[in-house]
Amino acid sequence: MLKNITIGQYFPGNSAVHRMDARMKILLTIALLVDVFVSKGFIGFGLIFAFVLLVARTTKISLSFIVRGLKPIAFIAVFTFVLNLFMQTGGETLFQWKFIHITSGGLRTAVYMAIRLLLLVTASQLLTLTTSSLSLTDGLEALMRPLAVIHFPAHEIAMMMSIALRFIPTLMEETDKIMNAQKARGADFESGNLIRRAKAMVPLLVPLFVSAFRRADDLALAMEARCYRGGKGRTRMNQLHMTKVDLYGALAVALLTAALVTLNLLGAV
Amino acid sequence: MSHLSHVYMRGTPFEARALDDVSFTIEDGAFVGVIGHTGSGKSTLITHLNALLRPEEGRVIINGIDTAAENADLKTVRRTVGLVFQYPEYQLFEETVKRDVAFGPKNLGVTGDALEKQVENAMALVGLDPALGEKSPFELSGGQKRRVAIAGVLAMEPQVMVLDEPAAGLDPAGRADMLNLVKKLHQAGKTVVMVSHSMEDVGRMCQRLIVLNHGKIAFDDTPANVFSHPRELEEMGLDVPQSVKLAIRLREKGFDIPQDVTSVAALAEALLGQLGKAGDANA
Repeated sequence: MLKNITIGQYFPGNSAVHRMDARMKILLTIALLVDVFVSKGFIGFGLIFAFVLLVARTTKISLSFIVRGLKPIAFIAVFTFVLNLFMQTGGETLFQWKFIHITSGGLRTAVYMAIRLLLLVTASQLLTLTTSSLSLTDGLEALMRPLAVIHFPAHEIAMMMSIALRFIPTLMEETDKIMNAQKARGADFESGNLIRRAKAMVPLLVPLFVSAFRRADDLALAMEARCYRGGKGRTRMNQLHMTKVDLYGALAVALLTAALVTLNLLGAV
Repeated sequence: MSHLSHVYMRGTPFEARALDDVSFTIEDGAFVGVIGHTGSGKSTLITHLNALLRPEEGRVIINGIDTAAENADLKTVRRTVGLVFQYPEYQLFEETVKRDVAFGPKNLGVTGDALEKQVENAMALVGLDPALGEKSPFELSGGQKRRVAIAGVLAMEPQVMVLDEPAAGLDPAGRADMLNLVKKLHQAGKTVVMVSHSMEDVGRMCQRLIVLNHGKIAFDDTPANVFSHPRELEEMGLDVPQSVKLAIRLREKGFDIPQDVTSVAALAEALLGQLGKAGDANA
């Protein structure tokens, strides 16, 4: 059951997107996320969607794999849709029955929010799918470095993130193992009401925490044994380099942003 | 179990065929060793034995229950086949040893005196001092923790015990204790399936060996017959026990060592017999 989570997973490959500099990819993804909110109409969303689709094709990752990553979000998307549909007002009334009151304005906001959510997740997914967690945190650290002026612990945060990311699969595997072991002892994680299910988690969570703490201890020891003393004066084995691909990527996103801004200025909906 | 195959993460670049057309039958009361190098499919195989994994292709039949069937009675299967994973001490979670051991039978609906009895029996069987019952399992030593975990499975009173590397990570004395415990379980009438890396252990203890290689069964025979193929075993990244190696070398030098020698004790006996004869001839 834990194997089907694709969000945040790295999908190895050698496409242009894979080869881009992590820093540029992070910046461009942020730009894309801003674009999603700048856009105020279906033409804009269409443009972004086309762009995201284009990037997805370039990565050579199968679309079904990307769509699978949207599954956990689907519920939230539907939820926001319904919430906005009933709560937002404005425009003409489309449907009214007792206290239910649907307006065209509400409908539009609802559709927009759902689309935005799905685009947001897809765009950020493309980042994590094409960037290994190592270069991702390297990129983040490089981008946060200027903040050191205000004593922002960029290196520590990047290190924490890379450790956390590194241990997600390990912990999942561990969870799977413990779950199997408890199931072999007749534990039942799938049936019963909410309270029973929460109680059934105890035999899973206690060993998981115990082993997580043990792992943390081991890791700290292993890092100290290799003379880790924080980020100061640390050099890197893999330097980040910007290449032509990054330039093209930046140009493409800039073009998209320009188009969206123009659309907004023209007032097209 | 017949024609069992299992594919992990089908349709992704991580796809891997863990088991490929594996068939065998294990009789009641048998003591079977499963060997194979890392990644040969041992763990996948044993998780099929108590229906934690259901067959993707082929069938697994435990006491007449087909685990591939939609409505298979998995609870009965899990009660019949007790599965002890590698490093089982990591599954402990209760406040006291007793309560942890009772977790399994409780899940099967055992209560009251019967529960108490099953817990006591299981603890006695693995050689745990009843006085430890009220202690926290996290205070015990590694070997003791593992005993508690094994008792936790034994308390469900399964007919078949499947153990994955029960002696891994223990010191030599703990290792010997653990293997003795496994032997004791077999003598107590349980069918035992033991996964191991150690050719010495399985060669000495098991009546039958199943050798897995890349998800396929390479050998399924008595230890003596399996170890008579040292070259093939080496190609699979496996080895034969030291005693068998020595027996082969001695045979090349003209000693008459029977083929069924798979343990140090048996080899010593055969050698003593030989030397005795030689001594008689010289006299």
